[in-house]
Amino acid sequence: MLNVRHVTRLFGQKAAVDNVSFDVDRSMMIGIIGRSGAGKSTFLRMLNRLTDATSGEILFEGRDVLSLRGKDKRAWQSDCAMVFQQFNLVPRMDVVSNVLHGTLNRHSALRTALNLFPRDDIERAMDILDRLGVGEQAPKRAEALSGGQQQRVAIARALMQDPRVILADEPIASLDPMNAQIVMDTLRRIHDEDGRMVIANLHTLDTARRYCDRVIGMRDGRIVFDGTPEQLTTGVARDIYGADEGFSEAATSTAIDTISDAPIPA
Amino acid sequence: MSDTALGHHTGGGTTRDAYFEMVRRKRLYGGLTILVFVVLLVSGFVLADGRNAGGFWNGLSQLGDFPATVVAEAWESRADMPAHLVTYFPALIDTINIAAASTLIGVLIGGLLSMLSTRGLAPVPWLIPICRRIMDIMRALPEIVLALAFIFILGGGPVPAMIAIAFHTCGALGKLFSEVNENADLKPVEGLASVGASWPQRMWLAVVPQVAPNYLSYALLRFEINIRASAILGFVGAGGIGYELKNTISWGQGKFDEAAAIFILLFLAIVIVDNLSDLARNRLTHGGKK
Amino acid sequence: MTDAVMQSEIHVLFRRKRIMALALPFMVLAYLAYVVWTFDVVGLMQRAEPGRAQTLLADSYSYKTHITRSNRTGDWDAAIEGERKGKYDEGVFPAWAVLNDTGMTIALNHGHEVTVSPEGEMRYDVPGFGLITALPTRRGIETNLTPETAPDWVNMSNTRLSITTRGGRVNVTKSKTEVFRYFTGWELFFFTLDSPYHGHSVTEILFGDQIDPTRGNVAGALHDFWMNPMWHHHQVAWAMFETILMAFLGTMGAGLIALPLAFFAARGFNPLRSTRFALRRVFDFLRGVDGLIWTILLSRAFGPGPLTGSLAIMLTDTGTFGKLFSEALENTDKKQIEGIQSTGANRLQRYRFGVLPQLMPVLLSQILYYLESNTRSATIIGAITGGGIGLLLTQAMITHKDWEEVTYYIILVVLMVMMMDWLSGWLRRKLIKGG
Repeated sequence: MLNVRHVTRLFGQKAAVDNVSFDVDRSMMIGIIGRSGAGKSTFLRMLNRLTDATSGEILFEGRDVLSLRGKDKRAWQSDCAMVFQQFNLVPRMDVVSNVLHGTLNRHSALRTALNLFPRDDIERAMDILDRLGVGEQAPKRAEALSGGQQQRVAIARALMQDPRVILADEPIASLDPMNAQIVMDTLRRIHDEDGRMVIANLHTLDTARRYCDRVIGMRDGRIVFDGTPEQLTTGVARDIYGADEGFSEAATSTAIDTISDAPIPA
Repeated sequence: MSDTALGHHTGGGTTRDAYFEMVRRKRLYGGLTILVFVVLLVSGFVLADGRNAGGFWNGLSQLGDFPATVVAEAWESRADMPAHLVTYFPALIDTINIAAASTLIGVLIGGLLSMLSTRGLAPVPWLIPICRRIMDIMRALPEIVLALAFIFILGGGPVPAMIAIAFHTCGALGKLFSEVNENADLKPVEGLASVGASWPQRMWLAVVPQVAPNYLSYALLRFEINIRASAILGFVGAGGIGYELKNTISWGQGKFDEAAAIFILLFLAIVIVDNLSDLARNRLTHGGKK
Repeated sequence: MTDAVMQSEIHVLFRRKRIMALALPFMVLAYLAYVVWTFDVVGLMQRAEPGRAQTLLADSYSYKTHITRSNRTGDWDAAIEGERKGKYDEGVFPAWAVLNDTGMTIALNHGHEVTVSPEGEMRYDVPGFGLITALPTRRGIETNLTPETAPDWVNMSNTRLSITTRGGRVNVTKSKTEVFRYFTGWELFFFTLDSPYHGHSVTEILFGDQIDPTRGNVAGALHDFWMNPMWHHHQVAWAMFETILMAFLGTMGAGLIALPLAFFAARGFNPLRSTRFALRRVFDFLRGVDGLIWTILLSRAFGPGPLTGSLAIMLTDTGTFGKLFSEALENTDKKQIEGIQSTGANRLQRYRFGVLPQLMPVLLSQILYYLESNTRSATIIGAITGGGIGLLLTQAMITHKDWEEVTYYIILVVLMVMMMDWLSGWLRRKLIKGG
């Protein structure tokens, strides 16, 4: 389904992503973990084509993603939704409009400029907002919402694209534990109910272990681990994060129950 | 700099000497700068006075003569004043239309140019320096140059003035707009890029809502400036109220009463537009802060 | 589930947004259409003379040399642009025009050639068309073309034949035969023909033998360039200087006058409400009357010249600066002033140490910004009041002839404004960071 072959991205002399290869044969939820600067974001951005790769190849069901140009590239972006750490909504616009932006690729620039979104799309946008539990916020401006609500609006925008793949770049890093859990639950539910592939960059181990079917660990731009959550032992995690003996999972945790289980530092 | 020098009380003589040295140098440079400035200013005035047809002190005593003549003539035929105001009102509308249309064109083209020349917004990076240079040149070209060239090609009338002012406005607004663009948040733009939105869609939906209040405020300011510019260009033959003014103000026409009416119209128009735009801009900047 | 109220609310919202989104472009288009109609753009386009645009463009980067035969006397002469100042000496011709016993042979561009026999018969073998001959006689022009066979690039009547090709132009009338050859560039930009340095290269002038026995090469060449009677470089330089002078004097004078006045117009510095109000109206008046009217009024009293322009800029900008500075004064931080006051400083000291440091950045950046913008205004004001580069520019434009000079002035003006822009930006960064 998804084949990543020798993908590299150089920033100057430094390789942000260094010769990454892996294959995915069926739709699943994949977590990419690693500390910040490990190249997770760059990799997802290359997959969505927000950043160009220096070399390598990505095939999605035979479609050569990295060589797409212009219209084809934008068509791929519409098939491959992205959720950002900072939500990247248009703050001064209302929530429904932000969700409707998911359909931009299907409409001409003139039509969208004149706000001529079809009635069906508006209805569908509101259905999606309902499904994600933020239906009441529909007429508000995006900037008036809390972080967790904004992230769900961003996911709604992603769903509006009716994508094959959803990429989530640190979707919960800017959220409190409560909202983080809601957002992760939402992503998992989308995978389970709609069968869409979800690839999420996560900076915490426990989230990856709890929600994902497969975990890829990156360090300094390279893949250092690729396996099931069960194979993700503390030793492997230390390797991924480049940490010493003092490393504990709780230190990277954001989930509520993990925190309540862990001893609270004085 | 002086603060850090003062901070070292324990530094002893050397720090103190250094400080006094700095003060001395600062005073010297400051004094020299002021001296050079004053010399330039005075000699400039003397030079300008020498090259002027009439001297300054001579002219000063005659300063009131012309306005007095105009006022006297206008007062004599004060009964015609309302009629004159009505006669020349269409010319004023022409002048305002020139200013408004050229501001509008300037906003549209300047906005496009500014987006093409802002890093992060431009669709192709190599366009950025090209568009910037284009805007620099458009900005540097005085309106009168283009106006006269187009008067030569198109004949007199408001269109040469409109083209000339619009051209300059594109460059001037383009530069101001690109400064606004620099401060725009790029996250929404990236968000829309990730859904496969095209460049016009990204600009219209993610950038324009952010920058619109600032754009509008600059456009209003430009409108004030352009009204003045279009009056001046009228004076060199490009229609509108400036043209009428030129025709009525020449000596020996006996039309000073009409000239006075035009003075009044132009003055009122400028004051009213200035105040309205001031009001609107104040509201815009305050509205921006919630 | 969203209830029905919410649903309809959203649809109403979108209907409103749609109307707004449609209304704005519609209004813009409607207004532009109104402008096109009220300015009669369509009629104007029909009356426009594109030929003039062509002349303007062609003239701005090329010039022509006239080779003329007087058909009465049979004498030949050569002149650049046909002007007296560009005339060759008697019997001297450019290398591409050769006069001998068989007549005059003139080589035009693209290998075209025109010959004129001693009797005055003009022969022009136009490539791709054929031979055209013309002989001026007392009765008219005898030519092998008839009005029916003449192509559209030939303009002919009984008394006149004019041929325009890509090689050049030929005019034959009863009184004279003229051949024009076009060259790219600005003619005689450095030296006119009467200067001994014409036709010498830079290295020849700098390192070659002495050309004019009475003067050193460099000094002589600089003098002849500077005093060039066709391009008037010294006058142009003076005019540019005058324009910058007007902008400088006007802006700085306005700043110096407006600064003390601004204190009297600012709340918190002048307790008398009435004088504050009165001063503000004075500022409004100065600004509202505008540079144009000030220029007219002042030129009646002071006559044309740079002083008039400076004063016009000064009056307008005193209004502008007065308003800007007094607003800046009202926005100053009162705490700093109190700090100075607490040391027992008097009013002037408070202003000097508590206010001026805060005001300085605003003041300088505004003044410098206006200095740049006034350079452009000074060009325009110069055109009205008669001073500086603006005057030269309008004069050159109004004659409708010397478009290459117009181009020269335009380039100079653009460079001047860009230089002032750069200078003002540089000073702004330098002074504000340092101050």
